Order: sequence, then C-alpha cells, then structure tokens
Amino acid sequence: MAEKMCIGLFSGSIDRLTAAGVIISGAAADDMDVEVYVLLQGARAFVKGNENKIDSLSENSHLKEEFMAALDKLNVSTWLEFFKMAKEMTNVKVNICSLAGKLWGADKMEDYIDIVDDIIGIGEYIDAAKDADVHFFI
Amino acid sequence: MTTEELNNLEVKKIVDARGTACPGPLLAAKKAISEIAAGDIMEILSADEGTRKDIPKWATKKGHDYLGTVEESGFFKIFMKKG
Repeated sequence: MAEKMCIGLFSGSIDRLTAAGVIISGAAADDMDVEVYVLLQGARAFVKGNENKIDSLSENSHLKEEFMAALDKLNVSTWLEFFKMAKEMTNVKVNICSLAGKLWGADKMEDYIDIVDDIIGIGEYIDAAKDADVHFFI
Repeated sequence: MTTEELNNLEVKKIVDARGTACPGPLLAAKKAISEIAAGDIMEILSADEGTRKDIPKWATKKGHDYLGTVEESGFFKIFMKKG
C-alpha cells in the first residue's frame, strides 16, 4: 500500500502555498498518496477567480519583489502548477474545510477551482492525520 | 563506475533539467522514466545541488540502478538504469 501524507494547509500566502506545492510534488515523485486539508486562510486561493490573485508573503513582505523575481529567474513553477503536476502523477486529494470556504464566499463544489475534490468537516482531517505516515501543517 | 565508463554508456534518454530548480529535475526524471523500458539507461542533467542527492536516493528506492554522477562545469549528469 502507498505511504500516506496528510497536509493541513492553513496558509493562503504565495510563499507557503509554493512550499506546499513543492512538498506535494516530492511526495508525488515518491508515489505517496496525499490528502490536503485546506483550512481558514488557505481556502481563499482555491475559490474560483482567486487562484491567480494570490499575492501576499507570509514573511519578509518588504522583500516581495526580490522574492518573486528570484522564483521567476529560477523557473520555479507556480503553486497551482505544482498542485496540478502532483495530481497528474499521484493520488492527491484536495479537500476544503466547509467553514473555511464560507469565509471566502464559497459554499459549493462549483465555487472552487477544478483541482478541489471535496468539501469536508474537521473530523475527516483529524482521521486523515491519524492515519498518515507523515503530517505537515503549513 | 568510472567517469569514462559512465560517459560511454549507451543512453536511451537524456533529460535536460538544467533550467529548473528543486523539485523540477526530480519531477522530470519521474516523468521520463515511464517512457523507457526496463534495462534502459537514462541520463539526467541538473544544475541543482539538492537534486544531486535526491535523484540517486529516489532511483534506488523505486527499484532502479543508480550508476553514478559525472561532474561537468556548472552542472552534473546523473546516470541510472531502469529496474
């Protein structure tokens, strides 16, 4: 059976979303099953229309221009590209916490971009975290 | 394997991932390995220091043979045989 990774993705900033994307991609290369549980701030990025508008940094916000230019120069994929690539390579499920979605005006599956698999309650996240071989909170 | 032996291998597929940083080369390697047959040799070009350790480790874990790495100026070539 494939090893399982569970991610609690609380953050909706571009740097942390990118980190999540890199980690998920690494898991995909390793053929792990990945379950992402998107919590409060993170949900904003997954609401239709917002996916390309994510522009805050969690740290060093005064260095944002340099940070973004460096990502670009190093040819680093966007957070969304990482998620899509990983989904093509392995079993990645993106689940949005129902409360988190509501905070950003999204209530139903059609309110989210197509990489989202389900809207869930907190119990599912806890169960997944219990079952996982590795668990990250980002 | 010596550098000379590695350089003389009959390579089935070359993956040039010098344009990307970690995890780009690993993802490129993972994608490309599915396009060759067992026993074929693949060469990955990378300029990313993290990849230098990641790819041999990944290859071994996935049942492929890591054959060696050749250092060039500004990048390196990682050789593996599909298991």
